[in-house]
Amino acid sequence: MTVASLGSRASRLAGSSLIVLLYAFLLIPLVAVVAASLTAGEFMRLPPEGLSLRWFARFFQRGDLVEALLMSLRIALVSTLVTGIVALMAALASQSLSRRMAVWFQIGMTLPLLIPELLTAIGLLFFLYRIGLGKTVLGLQIGHIVLAFPYCYVSIAAALRQIDPALDDASGSLGASGWQTFRHVTLPLAMPGLVMGAVFAFITSFDLYTVSLLLKPIGGNTLPLALFDFLTYEFSPTAAAAATMSVLLAFAGVAVIQKLVGLQRAF
Amino acid sequence: MTRRLPRLALGLPAVLLLLVFLILPYAEMITMSFRTSQPGTMHGAGFTADHYRNVMSGGLYLGALARSLLLALFITLACLVVSYPIAWHLSRASGRKALLLYACVASPLMIGVLIRNFGWMIIVNVDGPLNRVLLSLGLIDRPLRLLFTQGLVALALVHVFTPFMVLPINNALRNINPAVIEASRSLGASRFATFWKVILPLSFPGIQPGLILVFVLATAAYVTPALLGGQMVTMMPTLVVQTLVGTFDWPLGATLAVVMATAALIAVVVFSLATQRLMERVRA
Repeated sequence: MTVASLGSRASRLAGSSLIVLLYAFLLIPLVAVVAASLTAGEFMRLPPEGLSLRWFARFFQRGDLVEALLMSLRIALVSTLVTGIVALMAALASQSLSRRMAVWFQIGMTLPLLIPELLTAIGLLFFLYRIGLGKTVLGLQIGHIVLAFPYCYVSIAAALRQIDPALDDASGSLGASGWQTFRHVTLPLAMPGLVMGAVFAFITSFDLYTVSLLLKPIGGNTLPLALFDFLTYEFSPTAAAAATMSVLLAFAGVAVIQKLVGLQRAF
Repeated sequence: MTRRLPRLALGLPAVLLLLVFLILPYAEMITMSFRTSQPGTMHGAGFTADHYRNVMSGGLYLGALARSLLLALFITLACLVVSYPIAWHLSRASGRKALLLYACVASPLMIGVLIRNFGWMIIVNVDGPLNRVLLSLGLIDRPLRLLFTQGLVALALVHVFTPFMVLPINNALRNINPAVIEASRSLGASRFATFWKVILPLSFPGIQPGLILVFVLATAAYVTPALLGGQMVTMMPTLVVQTLVGTFDWPLGATLAVVMATAALIAVVVFSLATQRLMERVRA
């Protein structure tokens, strides 16, 4: 073996260990949360001292955390339904725009994603007070809808772009009405994108923190808010159990997207 | 035309949604920043530019702003360094392997910032795994107190924003014609020269939006400094929220938010203008 090939093997080895390290960097915090929630011991320790689900049981015994979980699920569900319908309509509308206009329309529709959540939350805090919705569940819901909307829109618009326009015309020339074409041609073809958008919207809404902090209704708490408060006075595996719910939700979402569309096309 | 009009009308709800609950709130924020403060209520009567004078002359506010911008700059560059090898590796993978790698990059994106920060808390805790590994290796003789330091905030933010950088760079790298790279190699360019002169410039259309997005989001990131930074370091976002929720001075809080947004925007515009020529050359 020559010195040169030894050198190139060494550099290849260094390269692949770097890559492994970087992927580990991405995943380690997630693994830490899940592992810490599974401990059988009394403390948040890694590696866990024996495996058990007792801290999940403890989580469900805490009325305040369960209530926050239910509130988060409820708000995420409504965000998903509203953004799903509004984004589908907007994506259909964008199809009849010229190419140039469609690009601008897309930028406009994704604005809440491109500007920091904190700024949008502050603007909404002031504005919702002005129109009498300050510190209400409806106000919080509106904030979640605005912030979840872009994810939903991007997925659905991408799915619609993949559909061959000839199918639309064929359906029309065979005598189908606009609604029939939508119902029997466009909608089934766009379904994977629609489901993906719904998954994104649900998960985004479920995880939002900053906007919930500023728009928090009186007496209402979402799971991320409750978790943050919990962490500031108690560092117990119950918190890890609460956080693990989010991790599981995300993995379920990734699995659904992979099944329906394929991750490579999604991101 | 008769079919086009009703179709366009479908976009109305979305446009209204964003106009009313995004654009109007921003207008409200700017208006609020010019109102007078009055303890006990949201704002007093009349308008004033005093808050801007106050913010621009106060070392506390400008210091926090400078710290936030510098931290954001550092995080953006660190994200680029971390993301580029991942994006490169991802862009060369195919089949089931690519799928798995995509899942690794995309999964953190779908998990809330709070949860990911919490993961770092568990790892760097005084009796956490990191300290125990370092202790048992004899690299340290006392546990490191990493929680509530700026270093940890930076690390956690790099982690939060890395996927935002990997995905656009990966897309740009996938768009490079492999023949170009082969041509460079067969013309005698070294691996390094090929990377530096061919691959890196051609991936710039992915790097530029990645840098801009991460910088803007990092400047106004609230959760991570609030959870992992403790009371030690004053960053602009935490200062803004304290002013709004803690001392309940809405006009001043609005002013701080507008100043922070303007500073980030100026930085982005300057950066875009400075890199415009490079972008045009790559497109050509």
